[in-house]
Amino acid sequence: MRQLRWLLGSFTGIGAMALLAWSPAREILHLPKNPRTSQLEPYPFIYPAAFGNRFTIPDNNPLTKQGVYLGRLLFYETRLSSTNKISCGSCHQQHRAFTDGLPFSTGVSGRPTRRNSMSLANLLWVRNFFWDGRARSLEDQALIPLSHPDEMGQPAVVAARKLQQMALYPPLFKQVFGSDIITPERMIRAIAQFERTLISANSPYDAYLRGQYVLSEAESRGLKLFTTAPAMERQVRGGNCAHCHGGPKLYQEVFHNNGLDRIPKDPGRREITGMEQDQGRFRVPTLRNITLTAPYMHDGRFASLEEVLDHYSDHIQASSTLSPELMPTDVSRNQMTPQEKQDLIAFLHLFTDQGFITNPAFSDPHLTHLSTQKSSLPPQKSQSSPRTP
Amino acid sequence: MTFLLAFPLFSLRAQPALAVTGEVAKPLTLAAEAIRGLPHSEITAKDRDGKEHRYKGVPLVDILRLAGVSLGGDLRGENLAKYVLVKASDGYEVLFALPEIDPDFTVRTILLADAADGAPLPQGVGPYRLIVPDEKKPARWIRQVAAIEVRFAK
Repeated sequence: MRQLRWLLGSFTGIGAMALLAWSPAREILHLPKNPRTSQLEPYPFIYPAAFGNRFTIPDNNPLTKQGVYLGRLLFYETRLSSTNKISCGSCHQQHRAFTDGLPFSTGVSGRPTRRNSMSLANLLWVRNFFWDGRARSLEDQALIPLSHPDEMGQPAVVAARKLQQMALYPPLFKQVFGSDIITPERMIRAIAQFERTLISANSPYDAYLRGQYVLSEAESRGLKLFTTAPAMERQVRGGNCAHCHGGPKLYQEVFHNNGLDRIPKDPGRREITGMEQDQGRFRVPTLRNITLTAPYMHDGRFASLEEVLDHYSDHIQASSTLSPELMPTDVSRNQMTPQEKQDLIAFLHLFTDQGFITNPAFSDPHLTHLSTQKSSLPPQKSQSSPRTP
Repeated sequence: MTFLLAFPLFSLRAQPALAVTGEVAKPLTLAAEAIRGLPHSEITAKDRDGKEHRYKGVPLVDILRLAGVSLGGDLRGENLAKYVLVKASDGYEVLFALPEIDPDFTVRTILLADAADGAPLPQGVGPYRLIVPDEKKPARWIRQVAAIEVRFAK
């Protein structure tokens, strides 16, 4: 599969557009020429070159258009839950950049989950999933909410059995995996394929990076604060947000204690590594679509971006694992004035990607079937089970 | 589900240790005592604060030698396409080419420091930090070093 990864890796920007019309990919990919895979088409990624090609696609799960479509059906499939009422899409709603607007989510048990539902964007590049980074791949990740008693509450093997009984799925699994036997492994591979397509790269900020958007004065001041490391000894003011949330993807793959509590109730990454230095450390999330993903932090404690900035400016709690950049005693740091906070928030609004949250390719395909009963890809059985939107 | 299996393994060693893996003859996991027992050197270098500090630690090249990395006379031919990825416990990563570390190529000593100005490195920085002298930016002075991977560029 090295060729495939190389090939996918080289599809950036316009190159990817050209590829859409490119047919002999299969031969170059050396996909087996037997009937079960010969109709599969590679899924072409489109993203800015600056995102880089450090993907996390397992060799045994290359993306195909058909696999992505199956994964999309499964992402919105409520039968994956014990009550047949919750799908991945319940807590990861497209119009909220795949979050649910709640501090904690409720699944089949009605009990709140332990942490805030994470936004799903640009997961193709993410290397450690969940707030504590416990899963090393999207494939590993998907199994956990499926079987968690407070999320979807059903072992994947039970979900697989339910899907096997439906008319919709066995032919699609046959097409994608060469067998109509539905297994947890195949389910999560398909879901992971769909999730890797959730690329958000067309916000006003991206347009600004391409030279196609002119910042307002407030946005321009916000950008400066966002990217500047403060050095009060030289009268340099800054928020230094980019230190952790920088780069075109607006995150770094790091886990930090951002000073929410002196003694954290939730040990965060320490629970996974057992290391004291990971106490209260959580994933640095992407700021993509940040205006849509309130409430904020791993426990959803902040309802607004104003509260978030107040925290970073004025309320950092020192502890032995606090990120060194955030030390409240650091004389180089400055608190933000109300005007500076407003400027930063104006800038953060540039990360909202309307195309991402309205892209029909990411929406619930079951709803489409009900309303239009047509789909070009792949062929559908007409007796797909009734669904409540 | 590999994380479920990995969890108890991680829990067993709650003390920071340094793993050296990849294109090495002998993969290592160096506990704190082992690193303390290695010969230490001292260098003076300027940190982000612009001030000179005295750092004490083990030359990075010595750690790589312990793991049997191709250095010295062996650092030629295809071995020149190897690189060293240094990883911090928070996930930060920085990269070096082997000739940046090997004294046959360079006069500068990159140090895996465990002390600064006579004191152990503080929380959030230590137990180990790379000191890379004579660089204009200290971005590769990676804190809380947890792992070193030697790899071939593909």
